[in-house]
Amino acid sequence: MEDFSLPVLLNYLPLLLSGLPGTVGIAFFAILCGVFIGFFAGLARVSLNPVIKHLATIYVEVIRGVPLLVIIYLIYFGLGSFVDIPRYAAAVISLGVFSGAYVAEIFRAAVESVPSGQMEAALSVGLTRGQALRKIILPQALKRMVPPLAGQFISLTKDSSLASVIAIPELTLTTYQAITMTFRSFQFWMTTAFMYFVLGWVLQRVARYLERRFAVID
Amino acid sequence: MIRLIGLNKWFGKHHVLVDINEHVKPGEVVVIIGPSGSGKTTLIRCINVLEKADKGEIFVNGVPVHNPKTNLCELRQQVGFVFQHINLFPHMTALENVTFAPAEVKLMSKKEATDVGMDLLNKVGLAEKAHSFPGQLSGGQKQRVAIARALGMRPKVVLFDEPTSALDPEMIKEVLEVMKQLAYDGMTMVVVTHEMGFAREVANRVVFIDQGRVVEVGTPEHFFTNPQTDRAKLFLSRIL
Repeated sequence: MEDFSLPVLLNYLPLLLSGLPGTVGIAFFAILCGVFIGFFAGLARVSLNPVIKHLATIYVEVIRGVPLLVIIYLIYFGLGSFVDIPRYAAAVISLGVFSGAYVAEIFRAAVESVPSGQMEAALSVGLTRGQALRKIILPQALKRMVPPLAGQFISLTKDSSLASVIAIPELTLTTYQAITMTFRSFQFWMTTAFMYFVLGWVLQRVARYLERRFAVID
Repeated sequence: MIRLIGLNKWFGKHHVLVDINEHVKPGEVVVIIGPSGSGKTTLIRCINVLEKADKGEIFVNGVPVHNPKTNLCELRQQVGFVFQHINLFPHMTALENVTFAPAEVKLMSKKEATDVGMDLLNKVGLAEKAHSFPGQLSGGQKQRVAIARALGMRPKVVLFDEPTSALDPEMIKEVLEVMKQLAYDGMTMVVVTHEMGFAREVANRVVFIDQGRVVEVGTPEHFFTNPQTDRAKLFLSRIL
């Protein structure tokens, strides 16, 4: 095994850390994109309109059946051959489209986990289905979405490492660069693993906090 | 007030309701009894279209419920419904449960809805619980709030689907008291229940249903003391 060298690590730490904003930025915008897509796809999944419902189902099933790496290549090289698409945007769109399918499923499951009696009670007092969904079902469903969504966001943050394949300057790419220059792969991958862990841990704490806050309402 | 003409309903191949004809007059209290699975619950769920009847006609206050053009929201605003499983909105206080719908459909202003809501909670004896959440109430209290919620829209008729069946025995009475009071106030009510005492005391008419058919209809005195059909005799001998 290679010997561990603290001076080398410290020397290249700025390079490594220069990838952190890339990782956080891509993860952040991909989460926004994924929640946006997932919210509407999820709504479509519980729609009474069969066409809308089927389109959403096809989206979810196709995306869940294709590896994220392939989606990134498809969007960057495939879409990129028709329109000029910045690599940063390609990464955010790929991750967003990918996680949108999972967010849609989380959304659907949460809505369906609200007892059917809630919808019936809302209808029985004369509300429309839309009013019932917005004011009665969604507030209860959103609370149930917090834990699985947190898991999804953590996955997405880690999956942003795949953006390195289209040369996005994020944590995994800067780690490659440091190793290429120093030939000390183990210590740099350990450091990088630790940084991903810290990011995920912070998200978990936030999720825990939100869960507790929402629980008070019940 | 409610008129059912040749009502039929199937769940798949199972014929749940067979040619039901009934007429509930304004101010009348009709109690529907019968064994489990006889179709009682389905029958009243058809009246406010939580279930869709497959054949026949339903009129509520002259509105043709079976007509696909009928606005179901407007219909349901005139028909209160109290559920066996209560189904209060858990994220709202007792008062909000009552006032939410009237304010949301713009039947009343928020202020007016709050006044009406407090009035109704007072009527069911729960004014002091107005700001409690359902999770903080007992089963009987929850069901009383649910009755207040059903009354919030100022319905012309209230349907009760086994309102005391999911409650602890000691909480049944408080709910029945509220329902009795409502009946004495002149509300038109259709009540599916196993509470024979309530039926005897409050009902104008008892409708006995078995296997989706109306087997016997009569005044409570007549039905309980002198049932005409063997099926009703058997049923009563088992429960009384």
